[in-house]
Amino acid sequence: MDRRSFIKLTAVTGTTATLASCSSAPENQLIRFVPDEDLTPGIAEMKPGVCPLCDAGCGTTVRVMQGDVETARNGQAGVVTMSLAKKLEGNATHPVNQGTLCPRGQAAIQITYHPDRITQPLKRRGARGSGDFQPITWDAAIAELAGHLDALSASGAQAALAAWTRPGASARQDLTAVFLERFGAPAPTSYEVFSDDVLRRANLMSFGHEQVPTLDLSASRYLISFGADFLGTWNSPVAQAAAYGRMRQGHAGVRGAFVQVESRMSLTGASADEWVAIRPGTEGVLALGLAHVILSNKLRPADGAARAGALIDGWSGGLAAYTPEAVEKQTGVSAARINRLGRELAEQRPALAIIGGAPLAQTNGLFQALAVNTLNALLGSVEAPGGVAFMPQTTATNARPARPLRTVAADILAANPSPVQVLLVDGVNPVFTTPAGWRVKDAVLKVPYVVSFGSFIDDTSVLADLILPDHSFLEAWTDARPESGAGIALTTVAGPAMKPLHQTRSTPDVLLDVARKLKKPFKPELPWQTFDQMLQAALGDDNWATATKQGWVALKTETKKSEVRTQKYDAVKAADAQFDGDPAQYPFYFLPYASQAFLDGSLAHLPWLQEMPDPITTAMWSSWVEINPQTAARLGIADGDVVDIASGHGTVRTAALLSPGIAPDTLAMPAGQGHETFTRYASGRGANPVKVLAPSLEPTTGTLAWAATRVKISRVGGPDGHLVLFAGSLRDEPVAGRG
Amino acid sequence: MAHRWGMVVDLDRCTGCEACVVACHAENNIPTAGEAEAARGRAMHWLRVERYWEGEFPDARLKFRPVLCQQCDAAPCEPVCPTYASHHTEEGLNAQVYNRCIGTRYCANACSYNVRFFNFFNPTWDKPLHLQLNPDVSVREVGVMEKCTFCVQRIKATEQLVKAETREMKDGELKPACAQSCPATAIVFGDRNDPESQVSRMWRAGRAERLLEELGTQPNIVYLKRQAQA
Repeated sequence: MDRRSFIKLTAVTGTTATLASCSSAPENQLIRFVPDEDLTPGIAEMKPGVCPLCDAGCGTTVRVMQGDVETARNGQAGVVTMSLAKKLEGNATHPVNQGTLCPRGQAAIQITYHPDRITQPLKRRGARGSGDFQPITWDAAIAELAGHLDALSASGAQAALAAWTRPGASARQDLTAVFLERFGAPAPTSYEVFSDDVLRRANLMSFGHEQVPTLDLSASRYLISFGADFLGTWNSPVAQAAAYGRMRQGHAGVRGAFVQVESRMSLTGASADEWVAIRPGTEGVLALGLAHVILSNKLRPADGAARAGALIDGWSGGLAAYTPEAVEKQTGVSAARINRLGRELAEQRPALAIIGGAPLAQTNGLFQALAVNTLNALLGSVEAPGGVAFMPQTTATNARPARPLRTVAADILAANPSPVQVLLVDGVNPVFTTPAGWRVKDAVLKVPYVVSFGSFIDDTSVLADLILPDHSFLEAWTDARPESGAGIALTTVAGPAMKPLHQTRSTPDVLLDVARKLKKPFKPELPWQTFDQMLQAALGDDNWATATKQGWVALKTETKKSEVRTQKYDAVKAADAQFDGDPAQYPFYFLPYASQAFLDGSLAHLPWLQEMPDPITTAMWSSWVEINPQTAARLGIADGDVVDIASGHGTVRTAALLSPGIAPDTLAMPAGQGHETFTRYASGRGANPVKVLAPSLEPTTGTLAWAATRVKISRVGGPDGHLVLFAGSLRDEPVAGRG
Repeated sequence: MAHRWGMVVDLDRCTGCEACVVACHAENNIPTAGEAEAARGRAMHWLRVERYWEGEFPDARLKFRPVLCQQCDAAPCEPVCPTYASHHTEEGLNAQVYNRCIGTRYCANACSYNVRFFNFFNPTWDKPLHLQLNPDVSVREVGVMEKCTFCVQRIKATEQLVKAETREMKDGELKPACAQSCPATAIVFGDRNDPESQVSRMWRAGRAERLLEELGTQPNIVYLKRQAQA
């Protein structure tokens, strides 16, 4: 200890000793002044971490340094010197993100230090949804939850326990699943609005893999993407952007070409060499039109598509119904262009077709995905260099089928008493991310006892009876098993980078604790005392040593490839996309999209992301609806005007933003804003497009067809000042000289 | 040999994702302005991604360009500063000495690239967001001009490290926050005095252009033009 810190320490000790004399035992005071043993003042330490924000499962490196924290310890306020996370970087050794992060990953650290984090367990005091909570001790909170579960067991109503979680594979999800199974409850229900379940189903049918694909863009010479925002928000964006960079400039003299097909220019579409505007819901028809060009010109053998082709009605006849002229009528893409694109696809090897986002979120989403899969198979780009592959997976520990959130909510509303008596909510905010027509809020209100593990009061956790706040991802053992983005099976896993700031507890540890406290113990009992024991047991000693050192570990699988399932399916007939709403009354296609800053809205509470200018519009802290300038002129709508967007299911009010990147018959709106309550930064800000969506479904998977709603727009008045654009730009593109 | 720091931004790799924008905030203790101040044009982004529309639907095109302080060799911001707060370092950085700055804002007026930001207020962080602040970077007070420093704190730390280890700095060993986070590796940083550094090699590539070069500012950042498909 040097002189300076000695003087500081004695000064502080003297002051607090005086204060302490009138409070509790002196040994409780001491704890404040004992720094972490591994802490060197001024020296940064790098620890592995896991990015928790989406299912991509990127690895991070956390820069940790010493800092002083005002906090409560042993029931007293004081200052603690402790390790603090300062910055997140990408983990350079990680196979998925390879040392980098997306803007959301960069901002994730603000979750830990958020001023509106829930700092201790809360019990509802006021009416449901009033937001009136009172603090409660952990012992009392866990006893209360265990008591409610005991009551279910006592009356033989174990099946009345339900859990709603986020999607994505992890040991944490496994634990929730095992907990429910041993208790005797149905499998946990995972939900996200921008779901890829339609694509998973299509990939199962076409290729035998119920997975989202891993894209080998780096080796691709030609990429055609149907609606997939693969550089922004879809699938594994960091891995895909890294590969995209190499596709463009990673090989001397060879630059891969990229065509994007969509009806509103996305972040990804902006990077395309050729941007093809298409009528929503006809992307699959265009894919088959391109396949027709390839087949009729004998540019590829027809049997190349094998299994995927057999799923498409009319394949054996050479897709006779999909002549370029016929496809032009349906899609709005010219026959000449279809001919040219089809030939380019076949001439460039390897060529690759992908589909994601809005085309899957139509009532004919499965057909569209199967059509693109077939095109890919015809191009010979499945499990081939420069094509799509399926990342090997370890077998899931729990494969019980889960019921979708929509039906669980409907059952709660339909039956008396509610078939769900105790609801656990972990990592999802379905009151915000579901259409109003599903009445999820009413369903949650009807469940007698709702427990949230959330770190924030959001639209769903505000309805809870008990909130058991989780540690932040930097304070706890965290893990993720990516479904795509690398060539090997792996798990991203890391221990706490810092001690907890608040009186929170790791949710998996809380579940294990509750399991131990139940009057009727699980049979067999869960073998782990803590979550890290579970992680260690699942990985084995060697893998554990590697994982804790580098933040991820490769998992052994039977084969180097993902397992192929061989079930046969009947051919699928082409189906037109059905849109909710009479075109005469609701003349516009409505396209909500995942926000580059907030995804579905789960990140709207982070101030860095609120102030990050949207890449397409430069808007900050705002909501808006994108409208074609000619349409706006016809309707007398100017930039920034306040408008109402109405569907047959509701109305949202927001600002109009004129954009040349959107079709005249389409309106697009980012998801993410419009939270009723979600911290000081997001509450009451902007509007939520998901609320006005029709409850239309893709029928085979039952997922929400979020791009299948028609709307009308009406001007309410002039700008109200809530559309904030970043003002610092140069106004026109500067003409640059030679360097 | 002295270093001369430079940057190459490959617009053919840049996807406009803005990972660099948030990384810069996280590294450099840049305050969040909030909705009301942002609406008055006071949001601070040392690094922004410019976007330019061309054409009309369905032939609309959109281009991105990350713009940050160009660290000009003939910087218009430097001679106008009455207190030498804005000055040139031996390593080619266009530095801002916050303690000298008296807030005339002449430099921001003179800058051709709109990359200087003035602190109209003392910055505040809603507690405990302040615990994230990077201890290596000073927080700027009211009345002070600030801008991109090429992450000078990282430059200094790496220079000290290699000196302590008595070795030469490796090319690519040192990355500013924006370059480190860039998923597509569009931003490359390095020593222009090393002819074999990646920056020097890319600088010589045929696609290199400097922003508003006709003004004679001699930026130390080049952009590699986005290519059109043949």
